[in-house]
Amino acid sequence: MRSVRRTERAIQKKWIIGWILVLSLLVAGAGFGWAGEEARLRILYLNDFHGYAEPHRPVGSSEAIGGIAHLAAEVNRLRVGQPTLLLAAGDMIQGNQWANFFQGASVLRVMNTLGFDALVVGNHEFDFGQEVLKQRIGEAAFPVLGANVEGLPEIKPYVLKEIEGGKVLIIGAVTEDTPVMTHPRNVAGLVFLSPESTIQRILTAHAPEADLVIVLSHLGLPADRKLAQQVKGIHLIVGGHTHTRIEQPLKVNGTWIVQAWEDGKVLGCLDLMISKGGIRLSEGRLIDIKPGREPVKEISALVEEFSRRVKGELEEVIGEALVDLEGQGARRQETNLGDLLTDILRIETGADLAVLNGGGIRTDIPQGPIQVKTVLDALPFNNFPVVLRLSGKEIREVLEQGVSDLGGHGGKFLQVSGLRLIYRQSAPPGNRVQEIRINGQPLEPDREYLLATNDFLAAGGDGFSVFKKAFPDQASSPDWKPEPGSGKVVLYDRGRTVQELVIAYIKRQKKVTAATDGRIRSRE
Amino acid sequence: MNLWVNNQPVDLLKGMTVRHALIQADLVKEIEKGKKVYDEWGNEVGLDGVVEEGQRFEVK
Repeated sequence: MRSVRRTERAIQKKWIIGWILVLSLLVAGAGFGWAGEEARLRILYLNDFHGYAEPHRPVGSSEAIGGIAHLAAEVNRLRVGQPTLLLAAGDMIQGNQWANFFQGASVLRVMNTLGFDALVVGNHEFDFGQEVLKQRIGEAAFPVLGANVEGLPEIKPYVLKEIEGGKVLIIGAVTEDTPVMTHPRNVAGLVFLSPESTIQRILTAHAPEADLVIVLSHLGLPADRKLAQQVKGIHLIVGGHTHTRIEQPLKVNGTWIVQAWEDGKVLGCLDLMISKGGIRLSEGRLIDIKPGREPVKEISALVEEFSRRVKGELEEVIGEALVDLEGQGARRQETNLGDLLTDILRIETGADLAVLNGGGIRTDIPQGPIQVKTVLDALPFNNFPVVLRLSGKEIREVLEQGVSDLGGHGGKFLQVSGLRLIYRQSAPPGNRVQEIRINGQPLEPDREYLLATNDFLAAGGDGFSVFKKAFPDQASSPDWKPEPGSGKVVLYDRGRTVQELVIAYIKRQKKVTAATDGRIRSRE
Repeated sequence: MNLWVNNQPVDLLKGMTVRHALIQADLVKEIEKGKKVYDEWGNEVGLDGVVEEGQRFEVK
């Protein structure tokens, strides 16, 4: 009797072990394990979010799109029943006021809640300085990557992630041009190495351990294509920087390349089938993000919390105007607000001279308390400061362009600082400037001066093509390396707008005043 | 840095964007009217996308 029971127990035990084995195999086959025949891995990706947490209407669009709480709903839906990676390809924490007022901390809160698996630093992650970046990295519940950045140990070169038995090597790489895209102090002491050779070195050391190799790139599509051409062994490049809407994944030299446009307007979704035999693309697509889908409540609450705080920040009183500061006449003549703004631009950038287009100054700042939004109303364009080393002859050309259309309809009339200008209205355009004095001395045609302006004018806006003469001849030198502070481009700071320079100045000074001092005069 | 917008040469600083290329080519108004910008591979690009030496864009 006892031996019959023992036999029954042994049979039951074998059945249980057998079922456990069968179930284990089924689970492994459904997941990312390598024991199964072919496993699926879903990769969700986002790049160049720039803090656009709320739905917004881009220029030329008739409807609001984006919204991180709606994007989160898609992420959650696409994660169900799938081994999934959620990746961010840089430029996440800077751009929109929703991010900037908190130096990116608001974005980190959302990214942690959404459960990102990795972020590569973009050039804009450096815009608040290295101390703030270290703080943001400390807050991140995911690795922050950048293999070709030397000098900031908090940024990791790569991460080897295990997902249900499979190993994924994710290497981060950021554009080598970062030093010319932010203020030099933000990257002081850092070295940005060649992405290609850095990635090759990591691949040689670590690719044998990995089943799948992903480069999380903030290099831009042309550079991603070059990387795929030059470096073998990368299965997938998840890119950013050029804000490219790649509808269908591209294949270059055996490497898949994806990128998901900008500002959280789309979410990238890529399904890979992985087996011992290799990696196969099952499907790749971009999913449009629009209000309408039920948002994720936890993310909505975070967005609203920080939006309320943005409103508070906009209404913050930062100083006092002791007189009415007139901006509205800035398209036709010198105004005291034009004088003040160009003085601030000159002082804050350390330039000898400064010019701003009158068309960029839109409202007055009335006498009394100045709120942040008062400054943003007066200067509504997100222009960035540029400092160029120009000859006296080139500066004369700049000023001639500024007085070439005196009807007051365009916006090219220049407000100036650091110089005095006399022009003759009745003279033909191109010959109107009569006299230019700097510190009481005539402008010297062959001497070089540092001129601060905004990136709109530097790019040739309002017909200021003369600025192009200061640009390095990069066409004849494809290996040209940016060297901030040297050459003709002394500063191009895409990390802090002219508005922000003005706000910082008023906060420091507390009380501001200005009177037109006759720095721009018409002889007639 | 030289690039082209609608076959028109544009000269920009490193780090400048599609928006700067359109400013120089005097095409920003076309975007306000609803036109879009595409790179040489036919992908739509955002105005704040960084441009690279030798790229070709089309506004349509």
